[in-house]
Amino acid sequence: MKILARVQDAGLLEEVTAAANDLGAELIVIGGGPNGNDQQLFDALRTHPGLLFVEAVVGGNLPRMRAETRARGIGLVAACGSQREIQRVLEVGVDEWILLPSSVSELASRFQAAMRRRREGDHPDATSRAAEHLRYEELLYDRFTGFPTLSVMIDRGRDMLERAGRLTILYIEFVRYSKLEEIYGWQKLDEVLQTTANAVRVFYDSQREKEESLVMVSHTGDDDFIFFTDLQAIPAEVERRVNQIVEDLEAHIRTQLDETHGEDIAGLFSIYVGATTIFRNPKIRTERLIYRGIREAAQAARSVEHRERSRKVTDLKTMLREGAVEIEFHPIVVTDTQEVYGYEALARGGIKGMRSPEVMFGVAEEANLIWELSRLCRQRAIEGIPTHLNSEQYLFLNIDPHDFRDPTFRYLDMEELGIDHPERIVLEITERTAITDYPAFQEYLKVFREQGFRFAVDDAGSGYAGLGSIANLSPDFIKLDISLISGIDTNFMKQNLVETMVNFANDNGIKVIAEGVEREDEYETVKSLGCHFTQGFLFHQPRFMTQPTQPAGH
Amino acid sequence: MDKDETILVVDDNHDNVEILQTFLESRGYRVAAATDGKAALAKLDEVHPALVLLDVMMPGMDGWQVCRTIKNHPDFSTVRVVMVTAKGGFEDKFEGMRSGADDYVVKPVDLNELAEKVRRNLEARLKA
Repeated sequence: MKILARVQDAGLLEEVTAAANDLGAELIVIGGGPNGNDQQLFDALRTHPGLLFVEAVVGGNLPRMRAETRARGIGLVAACGSQREIQRVLEVGVDEWILLPSSVSELASRFQAAMRRRREGDHPDATSRAAEHLRYEELLYDRFTGFPTLSVMIDRGRDMLERAGRLTILYIEFVRYSKLEEIYGWQKLDEVLQTTANAVRVFYDSQREKEESLVMVSHTGDDDFIFFTDLQAIPAEVERRVNQIVEDLEAHIRTQLDETHGEDIAGLFSIYVGATTIFRNPKIRTERLIYRGIREAAQAARSVEHRERSRKVTDLKTMLREGAVEIEFHPIVVTDTQEVYGYEALARGGIKGMRSPEVMFGVAEEANLIWELSRLCRQRAIEGIPTHLNSEQYLFLNIDPHDFRDPTFRYLDMEELGIDHPERIVLEITERTAITDYPAFQEYLKVFREQGFRFAVDDAGSGYAGLGSIANLSPDFIKLDISLISGIDTNFMKQNLVETMVNFANDNGIKVIAEGVEREDEYETVKSLGCHFTQGFLFHQPRFMTQPTQPAGH
Repeated sequence: MDKDETILVVDDNHDNVEILQTFLESRGYRVAAATDGKAALAKLDEVHPALVLLDVMMPGMDGWQVCRTIKNHPDFSTVRVVMVTAKGGFEDKFEGMRSGADDYVVKPVDLNELAEKVRRNLEARLKA
């Protein structure tokens, strides 16, 4: 649920924030400038908040606010500082009013009452002109971001082109890593898109203050954005100004994504901007000119994207050619004795921008180089056995279900794989990857098992497969997902779950590895719960292959 | 142990609220009550409980949602949340874990077990 607030008083804003928090609502604050902010407010109403809260003294077009909120079923609450203001807001017909000073609990209950009243109360007269007008408007503005759609843009673009004789179109393409939804869920994607839309909105508002001629922003429904501008600069300056805007916008969105969602998630998004300038031509219909311009700008954005992608693919190819993959060896210890039982090999790209395994494998997948990259990572990990492991320790290797389709892997050319002792290798298959064809997969596993390899189900408990699916694979190890282990010492829910999983494992002859143990208390807890092995930063910092090291355990 | 802490009991069934409230008060805790999710969230700010005893099955906002809201709130993320659930299945516990719940008791509630779980959660709260 969303609450839209137009508040000037800092104390009141603090209370409104607390009240929104109490209700579990997202709060969007629209600045309370003396004039000119009405448009921003009415734009924001199109994103369908549950409630609009206004401080009466800030003013603005209250009757229009009432009409629009009523037509959309949005509650309207006004905060008043005097009897006169109360009289005014009552005339307009607000759902609830508050006499200042107020309290957090009063605000929260007024908010709830207003929304309830709106939900149950009078519905807009279906035949009224205002309602009809708004229904049409709904079609013209994106419901998710509140930005105008293309048909509105074209109209305003025509005005600009006719007035200035020239129109610059910026096309912002927003590309996400294809597996994002699979890994983090669609809610996360929605959150990220909302952050982006807000960032674009803030940027647009700040630009408009500096640059009168930057006018429109539209959302294409395809996660892309379009800006129109008729920069009044001299022609030679236009390109520089456009580049500047593009650069600022990219930087602004990047910062917002990083700050709100963290580098890991932000790293999965790319922004590409294309620009084109069109000129008035009396011989060509204006709409056609604009559509053509948008197409050109979109193509320009796409060609930036292709260049970037092909640069990344080139980087990947260089990495593959030079074998520039680093392997971190994360120790896995016997819980009771803390002896090192084995190491998990984790690959990282050796080139800037490719460090993250997700990005590196994402590029490889798009470029159809996934087998090559997997082979390199495996090879480098296996090469590390003599220097990093003693003869009793095991190497845990991450395997993607794709790998089973790779002939060199599938037909087990041990020599090519460089594996002398398959019995010392544990293949980790993540629970996060949906396995679609269980019988075929079990067949693959059988062949490997006959050769002596062992198996672990990785990230168990992250939510995709239940215990039943885990049992189907009859693994030798279950690696519990970090989300189950983090904070387990004080969380009895997690303790209970891990206990259940350990019992299940013991009944089925499977060993349990607790992953992500960072604190002594967490270690003591997983130990008392009977997890056989433990992995995490508590024991050892990961060791890089590039560092000269003694074989472990000596 | 400091028993001068408030426990917020949330259940849409008035009889359940009364039983839990009487029991916990007899053990020396201060008790506040709410009969739906939204009222519970409003109460949080008012009474600042140390622990919330939260029924899962409620009309409107269910217990998981309430739990998620509490745990995501910067002021209340350290409040202990103990779920009261009719089902004790594996999947339910996962749902509880993902919502950020700290513990659970299964219905019908064994009052001695409840007292023990309340005690250990209040203790863990001081440790965390």
